This record gives sequence, C-alpha cells and structure tokens, in this order.
Amino acid sequence: MLQVPGDGSIIKEDNVTHSFCGLACVGWMYQKIKDSFFLILGTHTCAHFLQNALGMMIFAKPRFGIALLEEGDLSKHEPSLEEIIAEIKADHNPSVIFLLSSCTPEVMKVDFKGLADHLATPEVPVLFVPASGLVYNFTQAEDSVLHALVPFCPQAPAGEKSVVFLGSVNDATADDLRAEAEELGIKVGGFLPESRFERMPAIGPDTVLAPIQPYLSRVAVKLERERGARTLHSLFPFGPDGTRAFWEDLAKMFGIEVDLSDREKAAWEKIRRQTDLLKGKQVFLTADTMMELPLARFLHSAGAEVMECSSAYINKKFHARELQALEGVRVVEQPNFHRQLEDIKRERPDMVVTSLMTANPFVGQGFIVKWSMEFMLMSIHGWSGVFTLANMFVSPFDRRSALPEFDRDVWLEGVMPSAEKVS
Amino acid sequence: MRLAFWLYEGTALHGISRITNSMKGVHTVYHAPQGDDYITATYTMLERTPEFPALSISVVRGRDLAQGVSRLPATLQQVEHHYHPELTVIAPSCSTALLQEDLRQLAAHSGVAQEKLMVYAVNPFRVTENEAADGLFTELVKRYAANGQKSAVPAVNLLGFTSLGFHLKANLTSLRRMLSTLGVKVNVVAPWGAGIADLARLPEAWLNIAPYHEIGRTAAEYLEQEFAMPAVYDTPIGVEPTLRWLRSIIEKLNEVGAGCGASPISMPALHDFSLDGMSAPSGVPWFARTADMESFSNKKAFVFADATTTVAMVKFLRDELGMKVVGAGTYLERDADWVRRELEGYLPGELMVTDRFQDVAKVIEDELPDLVCGTQMERHSCRKLDIPCMVVSPPTHIENHLLGYYPFFGFDGADVIADRVYLSCKLGLEKHLIDFFGDAGLEYEDGDAADETGVAAAAANGHSPAGGSTEGEGGMVWTGEAETMLKKVPFFVRKKVRKNTETFAMEQGEGEVTVEVFRRAKDSLGG
Repeated sequence: MLQVPGDGSIIKEDNVTHSFCGLACVGWMYQKIKDSFFLILGTHTCAHFLQNALGMMIFAKPRFGIALLEEGDLSKHEPSLEEIIAEIKADHNPSVIFLLSSCTPEVMKVDFKGLADHLATPEVPVLFVPASGLVYNFTQAEDSVLHALVPFCPQAPAGEKSVVFLGSVNDATADDLRAEAEELGIKVGGFLPESRFERMPAIGPDTVLAPIQPYLSRVAVKLERERGARTLHSLFPFGPDGTRAFWEDLAKMFGIEVDLSDREKAAWEKIRRQTDLLKGKQVFLTADTMMELPLARFLHSAGAEVMECSSAYINKKFHARELQALEGVRVVEQPNFHRQLEDIKRERPDMVVTSLMTANPFVGQGFIVKWSMEFMLMSIHGWSGVFTLANMFVSPFDRRSALPEFDRDVWLEGVMPSAEKVS
Repeated sequence: MRLAFWLYEGTALHGISRITNSMKGVHTVYHAPQGDDYITATYTMLERTPEFPALSISVVRGRDLAQGVSRLPATLQQVEHHYHPELTVIAPSCSTALLQEDLRQLAAHSGVAQEKLMVYAVNPFRVTENEAADGLFTELVKRYAANGQKSAVPAVNLLGFTSLGFHLKANLTSLRRMLSTLGVKVNVVAPWGAGIADLARLPEAWLNIAPYHEIGRTAAEYLEQEFAMPAVYDTPIGVEPTLRWLRSIIEKLNEVGAGCGASPISMPALHDFSLDGMSAPSGVPWFARTADMESFSNKKAFVFADATTTVAMVKFLRDELGMKVVGAGTYLERDADWVRRELEGYLPGELMVTDRFQDVAKVIEDELPDLVCGTQMERHSCRKLDIPCMVVSPPTHIENHLLGYYPFFGFDGADVIADRVYLSCKLGLEKHLIDFFGDAGLEYEDGDAADETGVAAAAANGHSPAGGSTEGEGGMVWTGEAETMLKKVPFFVRKKVRKNTETFAMEQGEGEVTVEVFRRAKDSLGG
C-alpha cells in the first residue's frame, strides 16, 4: 500500500477495481438534458457496454448513439462525422450534440476538440466531452459534460448574488432544493445542468456554486477560475447531518446565519428505526460511483462502523469536509479489489456496498449487499431524501431477515458449474 | 463509420469471456482500460453467479501509456497469488489491440509459468463474439485434448454449451434426459463446467455432439480429424429433427461399438423419452393436426436469429406446424452461406443478412407477419408494430434467464416452442369469430388511449368531424365515411387493412381513399 505524501489518512492503491468507464454517464445525462443528443465516437465495445451493462434498451428514438469505428476507419487520419451528424439532426433535431471520446479514438489520437469545433454550427453546437476509460471512471464524465456546458452559461453581472447547484438531479429533487434555498432566503440562480440546453444558469463573480454530487470538482474549479464564482465547501446534502451542514454553510456564504439543529434532530428521529438497526453494523464500501465518501459519512453518523470506504478518485480540497467527518475510518483511493475481497472474507462485514459486477457474488458468499449504482437512481438529496437514503441501507437487512434460512450447498448447486471444485 | 444504437453480437472480448467464464480453473485477464470489464456484469447479473467470475482487468490508464508503463505483469502476479488458476487467458480490448504491444513478452515478465498463460489476441475490429468464442474454445481443445483410454461404455461429449447461451441449462437438461434414455453416458460437457482435465479427456468419448453452428463445431471437427472421433452436428429442434438426431447418434455409436465388440444400442420405445415415461414424447404432432390449428396454414411467420436458430425455427414452423414462412434472416454474416444452403427451398425470397436492427424492423413492418420469431430487439420492434413476437435467439436478456424448464432442444423443446407459438399468435376459432362479427367485445371505446393503432387512430378520433377527412400514416387522405368504415374492421388488423388499402389506392392512381376505393380494395385484396 502506497501512502499519499502529505496525507496519512488516505491509502492509495493500484486501481484494480470493477467499475464502469465515463461513458456510463450517458445513461442519466441524456435523460436529464432533454433536447440533447449524446454521440459517442467509439467501437463495438462501447455499444455493447451501453446496451448490456446499463441495461439500456433503446426506445422509440434514443437520444444517444455510437458513431461506430470500423476497421476501415482506423487508417483514416480524421474520422468524418458529417453524415452521422446530419442523420442525428434530421431524426432528433437536438439543440446540442455532445461528442464523447472513448478509448480507441484516444489511442488513435483523434483531435476531438478540433473535430467538435468543425462539426458545430451556430444553431447546433457540438461539444467535446472527454469520457474514455483511459482517464475517466463512471460518474466523472458528468463533470466533463458540465465542463463543456460552461461557455453556454450566460455571464451573471457582478452584484447578482445567487446560488447555482452543480449536478444533475431529477426535477422533483431540483424543486425541493430550490424551495429549501428560497425558504432560507437564498436566491437561486439555477442548476447546472438544467433540463434544457438553452436554459443553462447565469454564472458570475457573485455566484455561489453548491455541488450536490461529489464527483464534479473540475467544473467547480473551472467556474471559479473563469467566472470568479465561489464554491461551497461543505458536506454533500445526503442524510440529516450532511443536509444540515450543507444548508447552514450555504446560508453563511449569503451572510445568513441559521441553526438547523432542530431540523436535523427531527430528521434523525424520523429514521430512528433505521438507525437503530444500522447502529454498530460493520459496512464495507468498494469503489464504484464516487458517491462513497458521503454515503460512508452518513453511515458513520448513523452509528454504523465503516470498515473501509474506497473511491476511485478523492480530491482532498473538494472532499475535505467529508474526509474530516470520516476521521478514523480507513479511506482508500483507487483500491485493489483482490485485496478488498480477501479483507472482506476475513473481516466479515455486515454489509458490502458494491458495484453491479460484484453484488451477486458477494451475496453468494453470504454477505448482505447493497448495489452502489442504486444511489445514483434514487432521490436521496436533502431533507426529503433522508428517509429514502436510510431505507436503502436498511432494506437489504429487512429482506434478509424476512427470507427463510439458506443452505448454500443445497440451493446453489449447479448454478455456476465453473465455480465448483475441480473434481 | 455508421451510427449504431444496438448490436446483435457482442465483442471478441465478450466471446472470449463466455468461454472462460464457463470453465473451471481458467481465469481471464483483460488488458484494457477502465470499464472494459463491464462484461463481468453480464454474468453476475444475467446468470446471477453466486461466485466471482474469474475475470480480472489489467487496467490501462492514459498516464501509463504516456509513461510506457504496463501493469500486465503485476496483474498476472496478483491473479496467480489470489486465485491460482490452472490457465490464465490474456486478451486485449479494441483500444489496446491498437497499441501493438507484445503481450507474450509482457506476460513473461510476470514470472508466472509460461504453460499457465495463453495470449488470445484476435483483431477486435474484424472478429466478434461467436467467432472469438469458437476460436478460443478450439484453441483450448487443441492445447489440452490428449489420447486416452476410450470409455468402456458408449459415451459422448456435448460441445459448444457456453455461458450466456440461450436457454442453455434447459437445453442441456433436455439432451441429458434423452441420452440417459438411450443409455448413453455423458463424458464431458464443454466449455460449460469443464476444467482443463476435462478437455484432456475429451477423446475418451465415442462421439462428439455439437448442436450449435456458432460455437463448438470447429472443435468437434478438429477432434474428428486428429482423434478420429465421429460427430453429430445436427440441432435437435423440432420432433422430426430430434428423431433424426437420435437415430444418427445410435448409428454412429454403434459403428464405434462394433469396433470394440460392444452390444448395439437400439431406439427405445418413444414413450420412454416422455416426462412420465408412458406418454408420447411430444404433443406437437397431434397438436399440429387438430382442427383448431388448421388456421395456422394461413399464418405468416418471419424469423430473424443466429444461424442455428434461424435454420431450426424456419423448418419447425413450416414442416411441423404447417405455417407459411414469409421471410427469414440472420445477423451472423459469416454463417449466412450455411443458412442459405440449409434453407434452400424454404424461403420465398433471399435470406436477409444484416446486423442493423432497423432494417429488420423495416422488413417486419412491410410484411406485417402474424408471428415474428426473433431476438429481444425484434420483440421490441414488434411491440411498436403490434405484431406478436416470440424471442428465440441470443443475445440473451434477463428475461431469457428464467427459473423454469423451458428447453428449445429435443422433444421437450418442441412442446415449449409450439406452446409459445400458440400463445403468441392470435387464436384460431376465436379469430374467425372476431373477423366475422368484427368486435367480440375486444374493441376499445373511441377516444380510449389504449387503441393500438396509434397515430392514425388518434388522428381519426381527434381531428375528424363527420364528413371531414384525415390523412393516414402513408400520407393518403381518407374521407370521413371511409374512415368510419375502416373502424368496423377489427382493431388488431385495422392497421394492416389501412396500409393495404392505401397501397392499393396508390397503385390505382387514387388521390384519396373514399368508400368506393375502400370497397374496391376489399374486393381486390379479399377483405
């Protein structure tokens, strides 16, 4: 294990994990930005990934597709996408096309920026989104999408003080966050991203950026640098503790002092059954969606014992408050899954939070498991998400205790012959 | 370069992992960027594997490429340390294949014994799932199959049964049941559940059974050449093919048996193959002759599947259920010639060969068959067109990994397929009643959004005051009276009638569909 210089609390390993590449973000981003088209310049692998791993069946008119590099395209100097772009425009009439990179064209050294600029028109911009698995994990390419959207956020004039929330959430969650902010007297400038391309929020020197997802550090830094905006550094708004800190700290940036301790207490009270069950439970989080730090922090606050929290990428500034709240917990960046598997088998945690790829095998080993990806698809933000969040951790325990005893030797026989002992 | 949304076949890497994930003691290391091991999820989620598939990734990061670092040796050491596989297959992905690295040399740096490593690098831009799977399986058989003592009793190998195969376990069970009725031992099933030692003892069997054209056939051909093992390559789908398959197995085993003085096997009474041991082994022959099924003679079917299934389903629908096959196709271009040869005389036109689902959907929309047998994608296309569709072919989907016993192979399989055809199609006598009286209480109320005819009906309901006119989907205008008359046609054939009438009108040079044109169309098209 390699220690990161200057910080003894984060262990860094070699990133041998089971998780997805940045293209996974298409799964939710195309649904969020409703007048967009997501075009991946990629291969058969990219297409197979999207249709299989994300279980994305195509709908009547899917707003994402793959410009498929075939063998003949490999020798060409620059891929020609004009016809494909014309086809997309004719069929979908998008307001914006996101052009996502993938591994093969990156190895081919395709000039994506030049390609996107060349394909863009004043009517329909084509925006380059770096997303390949050579650099980006799972959720990180949402950061790239937001990065690409920055030039389309109007300049907010100085003196116009408002908050812009960073991160894509569904409309119901967005409405909740907006209402909460307004109740505290905080002016809401909007969300990056909004659900339509032409409605991206204005951002300027008096904008406060409030990240609501923990994987968006790059766009925050870009907006600070280019627009002079300031970023809220607090806990992320998950769970009673995170939500309270988030709103109190955000209010402070608007010169508003609020004490939400009663609200936090009431929220914990609301999930007392859940926290009673979680108390003392040992939980292990393998790296997957990059939501691991705030999830682990919520579990920690709820009284669970986090045996290990690992994440593909940890930004010591962006995640500072979460890391501080996780003091004393084993935090690993870019973990090695083989090592984790051995630790888990030895230490026998009560619950493993893990990816789609590894969930069922852990269950087969007798562990109680929660899919990490589910946290991406549920409304767990803010006060209104507290109940859902707590239940997500509790329901696997409830379910396990509701089912009859399980004799693995009997009921798993023949399910996976390749895993049976060589006779 | 083309715009793709969905693909029938997976990648070469997927094909490779289907073989290795089927096998005991074999590990795969993907030399690939983050995320290319998404394939692992197809096993853990679709097959719900209770153990970790033996698949690891040797992550290639952009930074490693810039620095000229390879993690492959370290990954191989980790795999050796944690899992001790008998063999590790190393495979590049599409992007790392372009790097043209010497993976054998890199692998050698790991210090892991050479005989425990195998680099399987195919051109991922040319080779796809089935070819890679068949190719790797053949390589493994070549590497490990060894001369050994022939089994003392008649024994067969079942080759080509592979992880994520379509109704794999049920098909295997169906074959095992029949072989057991014959009194024939199964020596090895491979790759599903086989270890290296099992591959070594493949030649102990008397006969190879390789029912899939896509995977396993090449290995059986190799064993035929090198070890003089006879093989049966037929697919036992349908009652007659199953009988032929059984006779062929008996004949070939008896040829081998004659050489070693074994007593010959004879065909048992057919009821011995039934589930209760005292009934007909399949209900299909009688079912197909019943009066109710008479209406199937006019039912038109379209088949689109992998090579094995396309051939078998077309023959089953026509030969055993007496349906009309209006067209068929496959997405496996490299097997298209074989399919054409097998289906000579079965198809009214050319075999469709494409991997673009949109083209298949277009043909289905043009033909409007009564039944489509296809993949999950055709089911999806047919849902939009309100055409009955049954899924008969990979790529498998979570809905093809059910718990019950639904084989497609053997007598049991013939019953399963016939049941599905029956449940999918609009029924016989019931259909006559509906056609004749035009309603049978199935009609939705006007304005009810549940009307299946979609856009055209919505237009008719919403924007057509009496005496006004509407535009059909094909751009043809219908007068109000003609539209009213069309509404008397049962809703589930209305779309087809509308389309046929518009085509007729167009051919007749009519600018709009009037009651008079509609009547003429009915006369000319037979209502």
